[in-house]
Amino acid sequence: MMKRVRYGAFAFVSTLLLATHLNAQSQPPPEGARVYIIWPGDGQVIRRGKYWLRMGLSGAGVAPAGVDKPNTGHHHVLIDTELPALDREIPNDKNHLHFGRGQTEARIELPPGQHTLQLLFGDANHVPHQPPLYSSKITVIVKP
Amino acid sequence: MRLIPWAMRAVVPFVALLSLGVLASAQQHAHTAQPASPPAVGQRTPAPQDAYVYIGWPNEGQTLSAGRIKIWFGARNVGVAPAGVNFANTGHHHLLINVPIPPLDEPIPNTKNHLHFGAGQTEAFIDLSPGTYTLQLLMGDAEHVPHDPPITSKKITIHVR
Repeated sequence: MMKRVRYGAFAFVSTLLLATHLNAQSQPPPEGARVYIIWPGDGQVIRRGKYWLRMGLSGAGVAPAGVDKPNTGHHHVLIDTELPALDREIPNDKNHLHFGRGQTEARIELPPGQHTLQLLFGDANHVPHQPPLYSSKITVIVKP
Repeated sequence: MRLIPWAMRAVVPFVALLSLGVLASAQQHAHTAQPASPPAVGQRTPAPQDAYVYIGWPNEGQTLSAGRIKIWFGARNVGVAPAGVNFANTGHHHLLINVPIPPLDEPIPNTKNHLHFGAGQTEAFIDLSPGTYTLQLLMGDAEHVPHDPPITSKKITIHVR
């Protein structure tokens, strides 16, 4: 009986691992593709804290989340955070903004102070491409 | 219990989990994809409120050197989706070169003066020989038909020498 239980547990765990692996299958990006922040520039001083962030993409296309087309993905903006794990879904919280409706600009509001911004491109399942496409990380200074 | 081979019993959690996984991904899909139903024949896709597109680069009246010129497409309050993808509040860019806005109730022509960016591109490099050109963006829906009202940029003039 014990043996059966153990086998069941093994099956359970291996299924979980398999499912995780399948979910994490990420798309290769097109060669030469890159993402970059068009605006603001590195070191930009922003008054009143509200601005439009413009997301740039070269050599690839934008598609909404859930749309599985080769050579496409959607933008994620990382605010005041490091790159997340690149082999799984990008977290969805106030430091990791998802633009799954195909947006290429976003209205961002930040409290006064110094903040970092970085773009990370994700595939239909919000998983970074392999190799990942991300912009350089910039710093903005928000003045009240 | 004895009648069910134990190997079968080991398979049960597999099957249960797999169906759970399918459910979860279906839910996620429903959550994220929000597909729009294609408009009825003869009806244009409604434009999202306050949507507009603009040419982020080059600027109006700019003089550029002949060759490969980068053009970037700005889209505000509207998302980008590849051609053929029906997704609410999205479209894809078309660049009109030296031509007026085409008829709005049919697919945007596909010529050297009407460039389609149906792969969801948000910028392009185009080769221009010396001369004066007008550039204008016009968004098209999944079927390349302009939205209602059309989402179009200002027409700019650039000089190439």
